[in-house]
Amino acid sequence: MPDAVLRAHAISKSFGPVVALQDVSIDLGIGEITGLVGDNGAGKSTLVRVISGVLRADGGSIEFDGARVDFASPAEARARGIETVYQDLALVGNLPVWANVYLGRELIYGLKFAKFMHVLDKRTMSSNAREMLRQFITNVPPINESVERLSGGQRQIVAIARAGAWGSKLIVMDEPTAALGVAETKAVEDVIMELRQRGLSVLVISHNLDQIFRITDRIWVLRRGRMIGQRKTRETQPDEIVSMITGVAALDRGDP
Amino acid sequence: MTASTQAVGSAFTRIARRHGMLLIFLVLVAFMLVAKSTFGTYQNIINVLQQNSVIGIIACGMTFAIVLGGFDLSVGAVAALSSVVGATLMIDAGAFGIPIGIVGALFACLVVGATNGWLIAYLGVNPFVATLGTMTVVRGLIYVATNATPRFGVPYSFTTVGLGYILSIPIPAIIFASVALVLGFVLHRTRFGHYVYAVGGNVVAASEMGVDARRVRFAVYVLASACAALSGIILIGQTASATPQAALGYELTAIAAVVVGGASLGGGRGRMSSTIIGVFLLGVVANALNLFGVSPFWQPVATGLILIVAVAVDGYSRRSVFASTE
Repeated sequence: MPDAVLRAHAISKSFGPVVALQDVSIDLGIGEITGLVGDNGAGKSTLVRVISGVLRADGGSIEFDGARVDFASPAEARARGIETVYQDLALVGNLPVWANVYLGRELIYGLKFAKFMHVLDKRTMSSNAREMLRQFITNVPPINESVERLSGGQRQIVAIARAGAWGSKLIVMDEPTAALGVAETKAVEDVIMELRQRGLSVLVISHNLDQIFRITDRIWVLRRGRMIGQRKTRETQPDEIVSMITGVAALDRGDP
Repeated sequence: MTASTQAVGSAFTRIARRHGMLLIFLVLVAFMLVAKSTFGTYQNIINVLQQNSVIGIIACGMTFAIVLGGFDLSVGAVAALSSVVGATLMIDAGAFGIPIGIVGALFACLVVGATNGWLIAYLGVNPFVATLGTMTVVRGLIYVATNATPRFGVPYSFTTVGLGYILSIPIPAIIFASVALVLGFVLHRTRFGHYVYAVGGNVVAASEMGVDARRVRFAVYVLASACAALSGIILIGQTASATPQAALGYELTAIAAVVVGGASLGGGRGRMSSTIIGVFLLGVVANALNLFGVSPFWQPVATGLILIVAVAVDGYSRRSVFASTE
């Protein structure tokens, strides 16, 4: 496999008596789309939250971009280049698209002191935001429209493209298309593949195996808080992944 | 309906939605100009400006709180606190009584604002509960401290602030206009104002992107109190005295003005210009009732009805807009 942008080693995490992750290791290849699958309660979301800095692991280590990291907050992870896109939580509906792209990173005129009294350079942000989104999206939604007037798919695309536009190295998505229709799912998948095209690494959690097989390069399977194994997407079949998820059929050829 | 009449219709609804309250306000003013010759007189316009500037300044601060997704019930009590503290110091503090009074009044009110902000932003207390609490406590403390009696004897020179004119314009109206301009700029042009919209719209997403929602909330409640403090100081200037019952119920009138202007109590929506329109819409209605000789007891009835109609129409048009985009 190619070099990894992120290597998590022997991660464990418990919530009281409940063991969510036990000795879990995962590598995310540079410029690859990695799929993470598993049944409900397998620990996918917990692992993603550890990687994105929302939760702190009880044990284990994470190496990101060649250095040991231990994120105390999502902001810290974001500052290092790990952006997490959450369904529907990512954008402020009443603000226009450009303001969401620049949220927390506003451009200002002149004076640099007294941070909160900075005067916003709305015109530059609006025109820059269009160019930033255009890198990843063929049909950029109206940049001055408030986000709540966009469709669910357009919102998701804006959230993902924003993550890519700000130079993140790894973009993490938890069920990016769960609430979307067929056409919108396709559009979101196109953006995800465009991220890979630009050399970014992506981690996707999805229940939709068809989607996992359509877009990923490699699939990792969690079951009951343990990493069962990984397969190259090109070299496996949905049947095999299903049996790894459920642990039922004997197709499991053991850990790599 | 043909496509073109539909387009005209939707353009009309768009204009009506954006500027509906302004249109209603202009229609009301036009009607009054025709119906009552006294309405358009200099003296009457001065009256309307005089009577609405104090509530207008409070409404400017309230706009921030409402766009943030909260509101501040304590502003009436805070204005009274400012009035009483300011007047007491002006009466008792001797030679430099007036500046000492102003500084003292501002300081007392900022303590209340900081308490509101701390409770709401850092302890997560619901804004209704927090500001209802401080409103009751502050009003109670004022009664205790004054024994519920007014403070008379503020130097007469200070009435310039409440009753004076610059270029034939009442000074309270000039102060109101300045506050509205400055705070309108802050709300619509600065990072702070932008973050008020962001936190009011979706606090989770804003925090995720690095906006310090707690600092924004804290600052907004301090700002609301500062506006109330300024109003209280003008109240001293209007009577050269301070009463503990001053500004009773102003918080609700201010909220009504902001909401009538088109802000949403759900947060994230509202503009300073709309608040100004809301203030003067309610003000002109009160003035009209007065000019037609209607008992002043009808004024709250009118304010309440306008508020209900404005919110109902806004909710209805919002629903139908979303229905048509689906």
